[in-house]
Amino acid sequence: MFKRSLSILFLAVVLGTGGSALAHTPLCSCWDNGDGTITCEGGFSDGSSAAGVAMRIKDPSGKILAEGQINKLGEFTADKPKGDYQVEFDAGEGHRIVIDGKDILK
Amino acid sequence: MKKTIAACFCLMVVLAGVPALAHFQMVYTPEIALNQGESLDLKLVFTHPFSAGHTMNMGRPEQFYLVHSKEDQSEKTDLMPRLKAIEWTSQGHKGQAFEAKVKVRKMGDYTFVLVPAPYFEGEESIYIQQITKVIANVGGVPGAWNQALGLPAEIQPLDKPYALWTGNVFRGVVLSAGKPAPNAEIEVEYMNHPPVMEKNTFAAKGEVGAPHPAFETMTIFADQDGRFSFGIPRAGWWGFCALGVGPVKEHQGKELSQDGVIWIKAVDMK
Repeated sequence: MFKRSLSILFLAVVLGTGGSALAHTPLCSCWDNGDGTITCEGGFSDGSSAAGVAMRIKDPSGKILAEGQINKLGEFTADKPKGDYQVEFDAGEGHRIVIDGKDILK
Repeated sequence: MKKTIAACFCLMVVLAGVPALAHFQMVYTPEIALNQGESLDLKLVFTHPFSAGHTMNMGRPEQFYLVHSKEDQSEKTDLMPRLKAIEWTSQGHKGQAFEAKVKVRKMGDYTFVLVPAPYFEGEESIYIQQITKVIANVGGVPGAWNQALGLPAEIQPLDKPYALWTGNVFRGVVLSAGKPAPNAEIEVEYMNHPPVMEKNTFAAKGEVGAPHPAFETMTIFADQDGRFSFGIPRAGWWGFCALGVGPVKEHQGKELSQDGVIWIKAVDMK
């Protein structure tokens, strides 16, 4: 009897801590600054900060051209690559956004 | 002679019938739930939005600015230099109004605030000043939409004014110089004639008809804590005007009604 209750409690704890505790959507948008750089803005739909979230710029083969983090102002600025590229906002599993360089306009 | 007298009488009746209330200051831009930044066209018009009736001549506003907010950041931008005088036409009458082009790019809330010049309403011999807010959002990152700005007359929204479905209940708190205004009288009006931006006019045909005058400009009261709620029956723009709640009661020797206005937009679920 006691063993069964303990098993159920154990299962509840595992399930409870398994998923993401926060129910927010990642958000990211980028623009071309017109001076050879691009800026991306990151955030979450519940207003929580994206500071520290990993940012990567990759070429079509997947090679990383630049990487960094969203800063305290919620922004990441990098040199605009010359050819085709993609920007990746990586806040972990289920919280990744990929933006095509073609969609990054002035 | 008799015909002239009769005509004059008819005109007097018609003019007397136009409610001096139901004036609504509009700060209008077609879309406030923006997926990404863009250049917004804003029209500032003092008019009767349900009937698209008489448009009053606006003097140059005292203040027009925006506050961009997201997370814990907040930045105010003066928009007075962007103002351009225009003429707004409603049902054949022209009134002086203003427009502005404002580019919004970064994610977050954009609270537009207009403090107009007091308008002299000759029919009631009072001045009216409708301090108006409209709040837009770029990209879905929320900002300080819910926070009061400390305006003399203000409606603090308790529901996101740019993220309302038709059928949602919109709630707010009426504030007078930052403090709740108990039992405030609030006029609610639907923008029944969509604005035609490029022509500075309203669409000629209204979307709905009012079965009775009480439906054109609706009246609700806030409770003893200044709070009110309103169930939104139709998609589109709804204006809320808390009458005379501002602390300044006199202007140039006449009575002044300092009103707080907020505009919200509801969208149908599809």
